[in-house]
Amino acid sequence: MLLSSFAVFLVPFVSPGEPVRSLLRARMDIGAADEATVQAYAQQFGLHDPMLVQFGRWLGRFVTGDMGISHISGTPVADQVLPAIAVTLSLAGSALLVAIAVSIVLGVISATRAGSWPDRLITSVTHALIAIPEYALAPLLVLLFAVRWSLLPSAGFDSPASLVLPVFILALRPISFFTVAVRSGVRQALDSEHVLAARARGLSSTQALVRHVVPHGLLPLWTMVGVWFAGLLGGSVIVEVIFAIPGMGRLIFDAIVDADIPVAQGGVVVVVACAVLTTGIIDLVHKLSDPNVRIGVRHG
Amino acid sequence: MAKNIFKKILLSAPAFFLLAVVIVTVAAPWISPYDPDSQDLLNRLQGPSLAHLLGTDSLGRDTLSRVLHGGQFSLSVALITTLFALLVGTVLGLLSAVRGGWLDELFLRVNDLLLALPEIVIALLIIAVMGPGFFTMVLSVGVVAWTPTARLVRSMAAQALSTHHVEASKHVGASRWFILRHHVLPFVAGPVLAQAALRFGLLLVLLGSLSYLGIGVQPPQSDWGSMLAEAQPHAIRSPWGLIAPGAAIFLVSFCVTLLGNRITHVLGGDDVLATETKAEAHD
Repeated sequence: MLLSSFAVFLVPFVSPGEPVRSLLRARMDIGAADEATVQAYAQQFGLHDPMLVQFGRWLGRFVTGDMGISHISGTPVADQVLPAIAVTLSLAGSALLVAIAVSIVLGVISATRAGSWPDRLITSVTHALIAIPEYALAPLLVLLFAVRWSLLPSAGFDSPASLVLPVFILALRPISFFTVAVRSGVRQALDSEHVLAARARGLSSTQALVRHVVPHGLLPLWTMVGVWFAGLLGGSVIVEVIFAIPGMGRLIFDAIVDADIPVAQGGVVVVVACAVLTTGIIDLVHKLSDPNVRIGVRHG
Repeated sequence: MAKNIFKKILLSAPAFFLLAVVIVTVAAPWISPYDPDSQDLLNRLQGPSLAHLLGTDSLGRDTLSRVLHGGQFSLSVALITTLFALLVGTVLGLLSAVRGGWLDELFLRVNDLLLALPEIVIALLIIAVMGPGFFTMVLSVGVVAWTPTARLVRSMAAQALSTHHVEASKHVGASRWFILRHHVLPFVAGPVLAQAALRFGLLLVLLGSLSYLGIGVQPPQSDWGSMLAEAQPHAIRSPWGLIAPGAAIFLVSFCVTLLGNRITHVLGGDDVLATETKAEAHD
């Protein structure tokens, strides 16, 4: 845990590069950035101090909620990051809920009818889904649903309808990985002895499925959901850019394009912190929920 | 036996398709119907026709020729990134499995953290610091991309090292290197190769997204991702500009994934997606 938090702090530490130069490159032509201007800016933002001093100062302020001032807009970074993280949380959360629901259905169908045509179809589809470049699919769907049929808004983040396409696209890749996880988990559970015992006690196959197989078979899914949740928090860059959604991914992307280092740092650190936090929580939940892990037996 | 396995893997539709793609991309300079950069402003945003099989883009450039040429960049950058990740992942995974102890512990922590990070954010940061370019792309994605491979190699190698025949060869005096080469690597190779195929597909899409965002390939060079970005504003008039490069990325990525899946099946594994070790990030 100590180690991972150290690595977290290393990320923004290595990112500044040449702050002043890139800042000026963003605001004016490189040629116009004479030495005096550079010095003035550097003085203003305290960028002359040794890196470690800057790092310590920044870290100290960061933990108290002061993430610095945006180089571009001059407003506090926290004021930009907090609304953005709320937007992304709802986006990633909805996408994961959709993915979980779809993958449980698909995974259970696929596992209980292994080798049949529905199983083969589902397997093919899951392999196809991960290969879709969302930056090609998204504009095409916008073209169909927003332009041709006028069913859904093409971009923005103001109504439930505006969430449909982004959530759908974000859910595609998790659906494939989740489905495979559910499928293998359920198949393993189907073969396990306590399911056989339940059947022997006289439970019908449906009862055994609902009560014993599915809950047990979903264990690998929950681990995955955590990892994906963390990943989606910043990984929705593409979808947020395409659909003009004011979330974390877009904030970080814009900040990097504009060389707005405080915003980029703040955003990335928040995303990383969320990632570490979620993996920690999942680890804990996993330990508490699985008796094998709880008593220290390794999962086969 | 080994010959049979290769036959089963290579004599398949995805393998043939990929071979065809590689051939036409490598041969792009000779077989493209037009110069990918020559503009024909009178014939902008055309749909498919006999003269332009996939239509033309907003500057009247031939889409088919641009897809063929763009493939050279897209495929090579994805291939090099995959190989980079494969090499780093295998070395670190083996090291971790063989040495164990604090090194292994450190490896697991770092791996856990990197697995949870959104790859694209890391890539954005690195490109922001180093500036765009072919090798920055490889590096920016490669920094995180080795982790699933390393994890798979580590767990497979640990499994191989705990077998009786490894124990036996140790007793008859086999060196560590001999054991690695003869007992561990052959055992690890298959699943890792299958996973590498899957990784290639995922990286192709990811690297394309960097170009789509304008921080990957830089003009005048172009790849499938940047073609999509250029086509998007004109999509209402000409959706073909989106469909052609999008389908190229999709089909290649889909076929390598299928190929990877075939490898795991032939080796008796379950599903190649299950080797994407996000699944077992915490054991």
